[in-house]
Amino acid sequence: MMFWKSTYNEFIKIAAKPRSYIGIGAITLILGIILFAMKADGMNFISFVTRPFEQSLSFEGNILNGNLIAFIILQMLIIHIPLLIALVTGDLVSGEAAMGTIRLLLTKPISRTNILLSKYLAGCAYTLIILLWVGFLALVVGKLLFGSGDLLVLNSDGLIVLQEHDLGWRFLSGFIVAYLSLVMIATLSLTLSCFSENSIGPIVTTMAIIILFTIIGALDVPVLQKVQPYLFTSHMVAWRNFFEDPLPTKKIISSIAILFLHIFVLLYIAIYKFNKKDILS
Amino acid sequence: MIRPRHLLICIILFITASSFAQINANKILRAVYVKSQKAKDYSVDVNIKVDMPFIRMMPINAKIYYKQKDKFKVESKSIAIVPREGFDQASKMLADTNSFTAIVQGNELIETIQTTIVNIIPLSDTSDLILGKLWINTQQNSILKSQLTTKSNGTILTEYFYGTQAVYGLPDKMIFSVDVKKFKIPKSVSADINNTDKPDKTKENKKGKIFINLTNYQINKGIPDNIFKK
Amino acid sequence: MLETGEKIVEIKHLVKHYGKFHAVEDVSFDVFRGDVFGFLGPNGSGKSTTIRTMLLLIKPTSGELKLFGKDLLKNRNYILQKIGCIVEKPDFYKYLSAEKNIEIFARLSGVNITKKKVHEIIEFVGLKGREKDKLGGFSHGMKQRLGIAQTLVHDPELIILDEPTTGLDPQGIIDIRNLILQLKNERKKTVLLSSHILSEIELIANRMVIINKGKTIVQGSVNELLNAQELIVSIAVDNIEKAKQLIQNIGTDILIDKIENNNLLLHISQEKIPVINKLFCDNNVNVYSIETKRKLEDYFLKLINS
Repeated sequence: MMFWKSTYNEFIKIAAKPRSYIGIGAITLILGIILFAMKADGMNFISFVTRPFEQSLSFEGNILNGNLIAFIILQMLIIHIPLLIALVTGDLVSGEAAMGTIRLLLTKPISRTNILLSKYLAGCAYTLIILLWVGFLALVVGKLLFGSGDLLVLNSDGLIVLQEHDLGWRFLSGFIVAYLSLVMIATLSLTLSCFSENSIGPIVTTMAIIILFTIIGALDVPVLQKVQPYLFTSHMVAWRNFFEDPLPTKKIISSIAILFLHIFVLLYIAIYKFNKKDILS
Repeated sequence: MIRPRHLLICIILFITASSFAQINANKILRAVYVKSQKAKDYSVDVNIKVDMPFIRMMPINAKIYYKQKDKFKVESKSIAIVPREGFDQASKMLADTNSFTAIVQGNELIETIQTTIVNIIPLSDTSDLILGKLWINTQQNSILKSQLTTKSNGTILTEYFYGTQAVYGLPDKMIFSVDVKKFKIPKSVSADINNTDKPDKTKENKKGKIFINLTNYQINKGIPDNIFKK
Repeated sequence: MLETGEKIVEIKHLVKHYGKFHAVEDVSFDVFRGDVFGFLGPNGSGKSTTIRTMLLLIKPTSGELKLFGKDLLKNRNYILQKIGCIVEKPDFYKYLSAEKNIEIFARLSGVNITKKKVHEIIEFVGLKGREKDKLGGFSHGMKQRLGIAQTLVHDPELIILDEPTTGLDPQGIIDIRNLILQLKNERKKTVLLSSHILSEIELIANRMVIINKGKTIVQGSVNELLNAQELIVSIAVDNIEKAKQLIQNIGTDILIDKIENNNLLLHISQEKIPVINKLFCDNNVNVYSIETKRKLEDYFLKLINS
């Protein structure tokens, strides 16, 4: 019971903080610009994708449709959304330490583990809200503006055309896995927050880790190739696997497992640190 | 010993034969063209299946509209991939006999049908067509196979299979073969960050095919022009 | 005076080390139900560390901590439910109103709190009409009051206040002092109050402990400790040698603590002051001033100044 009361408290705090709306506002602005740009000049973008094939082939049908827009948006924002998530979740513990409210919070008759988990749950809920907002703008508004149709996906090994009736479950599954990768980011920033007494540190460190791991993951160096499959950044785009045909089930399961493993390990570290921590601020 | 008189006879025979071949080719092509003009407009339901390296898609259904001389539209709820020049490239080409030279090359048996091979060589340097080759069933005045090499589209080999609408020269089935070795996937667009898969090099030099089944022809029923507006 | 009543707080040989640094070396004291208990010590003596350890903001290195008769480490939630506290300055969520802040913390107190109760408490601490105001606009004194409000909202048995008058103006100090007295007298609360100002403790506490360098120095009733028979009396005279001779001649066990310039520092009881004054006057030793200090106060001031 206390856990849910604490979670409710955390929702109130997140909802009251101005920084929580930076993420939502930024996403709305970015997506608005993308939708406008695609409406104005989307066909040129499409031709860039289809150009390798257009010497011999012609693409007919509504290529520039809401499903493609949603896919493009998800792909573009996968680097940016983590920063907006970390902005809030990285502040959940360290922000309280910086403000001094942690002293009062941890003298209440609720275990530290419960407090941390309630913050975590609230952070995950905020992450879900962000993703749902992205989904709404991308899919719903995208379809209103561009209509519906098949999805043209360009991968490194070619072009896939996924039929419209086959996209519902793919998008749902893709969003679920994208959510998992964002929860991973939230977990990372929350864990870092337990080690810090200020808000900026965990946010910047989270982004630095993402950038560093992304670079390591992209380097074609033999010694790094052993490590690459286990980096969480290698699985941040796991949601894209749902837009392959045939579905690479093994790859998807592996990505989900690795993301979950990261989440559990980081959460364990966070709980351990938060419980052990002497509150001196 | 070859005497000048013998050489002259050979040359005269050659020129005569060539002329005869050319006249014959033009006659064959004319017959094909006349037949193709019987269908002033038509709509047809198509099922398109793409079998191409670098492209994966399920077969889709679409509708094709055609109206003389050159109105052509593919209508589909799904994304359809069709040959760039459409389905009537061969017929379009035959419309302007002054723009090319046609020569009978020989004969070839396709399945059990004897076909005459006609080569088409454009007269103008600026023509998009570089070389055309048609396998024509002279009994039915229909094209069974065409191989068109253009500057813009490379070489496309098309096989035609006739059934219910043979009288109009409209096929029930077509198979397009295109050369895929020119396809290059721009890495920057695919955004497969951290994709550890290696590219499949075995696919680099293959032909891709598009299979099209045509059913439910509605011929000469009248199609308004606004159907062809985008 | 015998200490009677239920022991709410029992701290025995509390130790807290941070590596080589020993913040608390050996602190022991007891708080009885109904006490206003003064927890005194100079800055850096370990008061804050002790209080944080009592609330498990800090884990003790060793020692026994019992509150409400139960081991703190094993009964954390049960014990904390009975405590309301302010540790150092009261910090709240600046982006929330006073009312929302109280509700947030009240929700975690382990009892069901109604909005009406929240408003009552806010009114009790003198912040009526400011419930909806965001904390960003509150003065330090107002935050201190709100801090006391959040300690009371769940009706705890023990209230711990860590230097509650720090940073307040004189009126603010008086207001807080009166609030604490109200808590004791009207609401029958047990209050543990830490400070480095002896006079503040003296005015409101009935029992106290003094610590220094992480160790308990003295513990007991305020009256006993501060109003002890013996005082340190500083007498300024014109002839120090003669004064000294006179005292030695009267043969009582008056202890001369020190001679500073022309000031004699004597350890005597209050009753002997007029005796000494008359002795000097009768023997032509002019007395310019007589100042009294409680022995303990002097000791405490020395602690602070060192």
